Amino acid sequence: MKTVFVDCSPKKRLSASGFIAAVTKCFVIGKKVQCKLITPNDYKTTLDEIRDADVVVFSMPLYVDGVPSHILPFLKEMEVDYRDIHADKRIYVIANNGFIEGRQNEPLMQTMENFCIRAGLTFCGGLGIGGGVMMNVMRIMICVVFGLTLLQMAANGFDPVILKDFGTDVLTILILSCGIISFDIWLAYCINKGKEYGIHYTRIMLPSFVFILCADLFFTIISLFHGGVFRGWFARKKPQNCIIGKEEKQ
Amino acid sequence: MKVILHDLKGNMTDILEEKADKVIFADGKYAPCQGCFKCWTKHPATCAMTDSLHEICRVLGQADEFTIITENCYGGYSPDVKRVLDRGIGISTPMSTYRGGMMHHTLRYGKHEILQVFVYGDITEKEKETWKLMVKANSLNDGYSSYAVSFVSESELKEGAVL
Repeated sequence: MKTVFVDCSPKKRLSASGFIAAVTKCFVIGKKVQCKLITPNDYKTTLDEIRDADVVVFSMPLYVDGVPSHILPFLKEMEVDYRDIHADKRIYVIANNGFIEGRQNEPLMQTMENFCIRAGLTFCGGLGIGGGVMMNVMRIMICVVFGLTLLQMAANGFDPVILKDFGTDVLTILILSCGIISFDIWLAYCINKGKEYGIHYTRIMLPSFVFILCADLFFTIISLFHGGVFRGWFARKKPQNCIIGKEEKQ
Repeated sequence: MKVILHDLKGNMTDILEEKADKVIFADGKYAPCQGCFKCWTKHPATCAMTDSLHEICRVLGQADEFTIITENCYGGYSPDVKRVLDRGIGISTPMSTYRGGMMHHTLRYGKHEILQVFVYGDITEKEKETWKLMVKANSLNDGYSSYAVSFVSESELKEGAVL
């Protein structure tokens, strides 16, 4: 069995979609390939990999309640390739969004199901994740904390307290992500068994008001670092040099 | 202010301009969103990419009435229209709040009046259901007081009968 994981994030590195695809990949058996879809130059490689695949897993971020715009032309091209040949391919979708509610991925999930119907592919369900950004930040943080723990141990020698602190951090992250991990393992199980997964929604295990506080703090720190706070962070700026719409008239 | 965003070919902008203050033709000659969030964190309400959508969120922010004319694409916007919407997230701020019982970003330009979407092209009943869900979600996300989605033919739109 060959499974192709398609990372649909436009980010070249450290994308949440790529990370979730990589985690799912760990639990899937058989030949596994992960492709990135950023520009039209990536279409051919991805379509070539999909050609002899049994399963395709699209892992994507939610953009404006739907599929990111750079993925839509790829789906249209894939539909043209498959709509008349009734290929026996199973499609699964992992969607993640920056809000806490996984259910906000529902329009995206339906869009992908509609794509499968038009392309004659078998839609086997999907997992909608809320708080994907936080999960991505946590995995970067844990790498940083791991590096710092090693440095501390190198400087001070082995200390069980340092190791215990690191263990506590890992445990916290596992608890916050337990819904995502469980649903992800279940998804991998369905892929392995050739079963339909259905559509499920999960989230980071935090009360939403705590998540909102964390998200606000995160963006405040990033905006301070980038300088946006000092450039009219909340200002109702008016268009000054917007040229959209003029090209057609010229 | 009424803004129309459309992907109709055949120089329709002139005709549509009689019905709106600003008409945006989604010609696809611009890059897709890179997901960098710099329109929130670095240069608010301005996209990092300096093509024709550089200030698109400022235009969308001015719209009390926002009308979108789009070809159906699996129950969602056409790629060219979706690019414009994806690039326009600076219409909100990075801060979050509750709206409609769910988490959403706070609105940079405050509440808007109505979001109207006209969908043309080949469409299934299932895709129509997705459209209703999509426009409802968009309307809540961007702070529109009301919304409507209509399924029409391209010729009806070009004759100007439905707007």
